[in-house]
Amino acid sequence: MVNFSDLNFIFRFLPLFVIAYYVTPTRFRTWTLLLGSLLFYAVGDIRMFPALIVAVLVNFLFAKAQFGEKSKSLLLFILAIDAGMLIEFKILGQFVDSSLLPIGISFYVFKMISYQMDVYWGKIEKDASFLNVAAYFCMFPQIVSGPIMRYEKFLDNPMLFKEDGKAALIEIVGAIEDGLRFFVAGLAMKGLLADHLAMLWKDIGTIGYESISTPLAWLGAVTYSMELYFDFWGYSLMAAGIGVMLGFPFVVNFDQPYGSGSVSEFYRRWHATLGSWFRDYIYIPLGGSRKGEGRTVFNLLVVWLITGFWHGVTPNFIMWGLSLFLIIVLERLIVFKRLPGFLSKIIGKINVLVLIPLTWVVFAISDLNMLGDYFMRLFPFFGQGIAVNDNDFFKNVGVYWSVLVPGLILLIPKVFETWENHRRNPLFTVLWIALFWVCIYSISGAAGNPFMYFRF
Amino acid sequence: MKVLKECPILIGIVLIGVVLTIVSFIFKDTVYSEYADTVSDGKIPVLSLVLKGARDEVYPWSTPSVEEEALLPAPEEVVEPAAEEQKGTTLIIAGEKQEFQPGQVSANDVSGNDISGNSEPEVYEFTEVDDDYFTDALFIGDSRTVGLSEYCEELDTRATFYSKVSLTIFDVMKKEFIKTDDGKIGVEQALSENQFGKIYIMLGLNEIGTGDTQYFTDAYSEVVNRIRELQPDAIIYIQGIMHVTAKKSDHDKYFNNARINERNAAISELADQKDIFYLDMNESVDDEDGNLDSTLTFDDVHLKASSYERWHQYLLHNAIVK
Repeated sequence: MVNFSDLNFIFRFLPLFVIAYYVTPTRFRTWTLLLGSLLFYAVGDIRMFPALIVAVLVNFLFAKAQFGEKSKSLLLFILAIDAGMLIEFKILGQFVDSSLLPIGISFYVFKMISYQMDVYWGKIEKDASFLNVAAYFCMFPQIVSGPIMRYEKFLDNPMLFKEDGKAALIEIVGAIEDGLRFFVAGLAMKGLLADHLAMLWKDIGTIGYESISTPLAWLGAVTYSMELYFDFWGYSLMAAGIGVMLGFPFVVNFDQPYGSGSVSEFYRRWHATLGSWFRDYIYIPLGGSRKGEGRTVFNLLVVWLITGFWHGVTPNFIMWGLSLFLIIVLERLIVFKRLPGFLSKIIGKINVLVLIPLTWVVFAISDLNMLGDYFMRLFPFFGQGIAVNDNDFFKNVGVYWSVLVPGLILLIPKVFETWENHRRNPLFTVLWIALFWVCIYSISGAAGNPFMYFRF
Repeated sequence: MKVLKECPILIGIVLIGVVLTIVSFIFKDTVYSEYADTVSDGKIPVLSLVLKGARDEVYPWSTPSVEEEALLPAPEEVVEPAAEEQKGTTLIIAGEKQEFQPGQVSANDVSGNDISGNSEPEVYEFTEVDDDYFTDALFIGDSRTVGLSEYCEELDTRATFYSKVSLTIFDVMKKEFIKTDDGKIGVEQALSENQFGKIYIMLGLNEIGTGDTQYFTDAYSEVVNRIRELQPDAIIYIQGIMHVTAKKSDHDKYFNNARINERNAAISELADQKDIFYLDMNESVDDEDGNLDSTLTFDDVHLKASSYERWHQYLLHNAIVK
């Protein structure tokens, strides 16, 4: 149920929760949010539920102590606890049993760290109540995979904190409707595009990386890049859409990253709440770019190593982080500094459209030997494939064109923007109702049917 | 009214949702009875019945007594239609026939009782052949056979393949999936129009959760008999279902090697050692514990492209020459 594209979430939890949320008087609505979120989490991961509760309590109490006189040692202590908890569970989850990794821990711990630092910096002035802090940490639209919203945005919710009494029905219905638009858009990206692109990526694995043709290897890199993009962008849209339904401001997590002119820009627009988290709570506290070129490079290294580790504990994630560090440093020191303008523009675009998909391949394949095989097929100068079928590219394009083509079209920045600006247009209204049911049709095939994914 | 104008998508979705739920409820025990168990425990919303049905082209206006081909019976459910009448057409298998081991056929394995008639039966042994053996061969199978066609050039350039992802023994004679210049045709028609010297079948994985072993074997027998009628001169090879890896087998209620072995043992009995033979290629891809060797596969079920050669080699070394 903790998956937004699960039928039980869409048809049971979400409608019931939204009704309960708005039936509750404004004064107690945050309670509904907190209790609903705890229920949501408990259903998804009851075993690790206590870890969440303890983390919420400890973080609330430590932050409370900081509202008076600020203590740096106290801050460092709680940050160490938070970071230590995240690292420990990540290692347990990787090396002992994946079920030991609490759902959403990467995200809720980052929220907690941001809260601690914002309190320390005095960005949160009013002594925050336990209810608000707990609801902010646990709120179900964000607990599983973000976006990492800041506390100040949590307070920016008229449905929870309206000064002059309750919201009019028309405002509530308007919020639900607009949230629903984003939710359906996200659901379609996830259910119709990402999940099907994932099948192509899996089919490529089934062939065995040593046996794919070079065109298929490149198609695979594009496919996986798009799968990840639409999976996460779609998820973020669903999460942000639910947030909007509940009165929160829309949180932008993906802002057309593939329209970027450089890799550094790409990562300001890809998973933007994570990028800005790293910027505000690691890069800038380390000195950012204000302490000379050498220190800047070092700070970037720290940021990207932690980013790699945060995504996963296996060596390929560290390699992924390091390769992005290298590209970003090269862009910074050479491409955009020493090369003529037009050339740096071209190289920046190539970095985004060619190098980024290659870094995703590193991200995707945790087995280093298999990763080596894959790159050997991407760049066939270094070795031969085994039992390669040269028709595999056309065969797979023939099977998957119906998701590849819409995926590629959606990469064009204008497309989504156009919808966003005209989303209230009646044409889109009708289309969105249909889109919703097409998604449900697609999802329902798999629901309760263990054989759906086992078709040999 | 003003409020309603504010939320057309919400209203549209809710209305359609209500209608689908009502329809699902009304037809729960008739048209959608085959799916009812997926929602009866409350694990998924009732309205999914209509959508699940639609995937299989079952609609509220369809007649409730749908043919079994459209609806897979639920796993573990023993399905018994037509079991009786099939018995009459089951291949005659001698009661005392021993477990048949490919490559080890000796005179003792095939007793004279197997074959009616007075002439001394010829005893066939598996021998090694070269690739030209496959020029008049036909392969029928699911995605694994599709893989063989795609990644074994020697076979693909010589043999014919009637293979399709998710093909089962239940639908192999019913589905029209063979591409010809005049559109798609079924196996029945294709075998009436073309004659083959050898026919290799490997089916049974997709339907491993369907019915019990007897039900599966009966269906298999029916298919073999029909092929026998259409191709009187062909050697028919019943290939045992290829195993899955231990990783899959140990954690899967249906797709496990115990089930596969049980069904393989049953279909091996369909061989008559005369013109129907049983082949088990698992020995060429198994690890020491009798599971598919995990280094040969990515998804625990299919051979990697580079591993199909083992299957090919096995076939080259285990052929019947008449």
